[in-house]
Amino acid sequence: MSLITTNIKDDIFSIQLHGRIDSSNAAPLEEEILEALNGCKNPSVVIDADDLEYISSAGLRVILRVRKLRPELKIINASSAIYEIFEMTGFTEMIPVSKGYRKLSVDGCEVIGQGANGKVYRLDKDTIVKVYYKADALPDIHRERELARKAFILGIPTAIPYDVAKVGDSYGSVFELLNAKSFSKLIAANPQDLDKYVGLFVDLLKKIHSTEVNPEDMPDQRAVVIGWVNFLKDYLDSEKWEKLHKLVEAVPIDHHMIHGDYHTKNVMMQNGEVLLIDMDTLCQGNPVFEFASIYNAFVGFYDFDHDATVAFQGLDYDTTISVWKKMLPLYFGTSDPDALKAVENKAAILGYARLMRRLIRRNGFDTEEGKKLIAHYKNQIETRLDSVDTLMF
Amino acid sequence: MEIVKKREGDKLTLALSGRLDTLTAPQLEAVIKNELDGAKELELDLKDLIYVSSAGLRVFLMGHKTMSKIGSMSLSNVCDDIKEVLTITGFADIFTIK
Repeated sequence: MSLITTNIKDDIFSIQLHGRIDSSNAAPLEEEILEALNGCKNPSVVIDADDLEYISSAGLRVILRVRKLRPELKIINASSAIYEIFEMTGFTEMIPVSKGYRKLSVDGCEVIGQGANGKVYRLDKDTIVKVYYKADALPDIHRERELARKAFILGIPTAIPYDVAKVGDSYGSVFELLNAKSFSKLIAANPQDLDKYVGLFVDLLKKIHSTEVNPEDMPDQRAVVIGWVNFLKDYLDSEKWEKLHKLVEAVPIDHHMIHGDYHTKNVMMQNGEVLLIDMDTLCQGNPVFEFASIYNAFVGFYDFDHDATVAFQGLDYDTTISVWKKMLPLYFGTSDPDALKAVENKAAILGYARLMRRLIRRNGFDTEEGKKLIAHYKNQIETRLDSVDTLMF
Repeated sequence: MEIVKKREGDKLTLALSGRLDTLTAPQLEAVIKNELDGAKELELDLKDLIYVSSAGLRVFLMGHKTMSKIGSMSLSNVCDDIKEVLTITGFADIFTIK
């Protein structure tokens, strides 16, 4: 059996070492490496230690000789134990050595949640790991962690992300375990306290919206919404589309935080403290963009299927409607029905614009059901536009 | 969690022991909010602290913000486990760690 495997990616010639390397196999290993490098024209060579369990001084000497041949040599994916060997022997001062991700097994761990992107396991009493289904989820994981960290530093109460780990062939993000219940569960169990929970839900939303972010740190939701509207150009009445387009363009750029998926499953209570989770949609912009997504989460998604609220929100339709109706006067500080109707129209127009674009992109026109829904969204957008002159609140 | 206060002139040291989590963080928060007694320098001695959750980190942040207006805050005797939490969460760059 050969002692190494090699591959070339992005013009980097990578040599993977396997198992234990000591005086019993160092010589044949060296021969194999030299043979592999013979004729290698790639500008950089790395030794991938991902599968390396142990390396003795005989093995280290082989690496030194390879480095003489290829001075740019780097070592990547060292486990903590292997890194320690390189560090103790002074190798880390001669050759760049980078650590690999911690490896975790979730065998026997309790599954405590399951979402669209991955499964959540309880690792121990203080931590959980969210394992992503996609094998190439690393960029997404780093993005979400960075957003969560930024929000946390800005004072938004959320769970702290610890490290990223390799779980089998996938990657996982390790988080603090919250001993918390979602607002959906709390409202379902204590319907008499609905007003209290909606009050807390609105307080956190106001805190998010009053938090200023560094413009480079989070995506701009205004640009995203303009994208939805542009997509709809050929599907809406042209005058109505012109109006909608103008209204969206007139919403000023705004560097305040928006959660992007704010609903009662993403807000948790732990020992009386309200916490926000699921930070991957965090962005910046005018609050109308947030209300568009809130409208969908409590109302817009379910126009033809009231029972679906149970699957999405863990609440019945009457309750999700009440959450929406009760939160508006609290957030906007008015009980004037005309003012609240105006708010709802603005949120609904953008909410339905998103749903309409989504369904068309998912081949909604191919089915009778889809056509009916698209017509409904179009009608909602066009009718509500008549009574709206600005999307600002 | 236990908090032991020690005052030397303008400096207040709070020695924390046990777990600083969502149950105990409010204790520390209350001390920082109400019992600084004009201290200009706040040191949190973490020698006997074994665990910090996000609720604890939030109180550290709050303390850091409060103290940066009137003086300074530092963390001392941070054990490896907690140091690692501070490093991977990016907080090691924010706090002064002695």
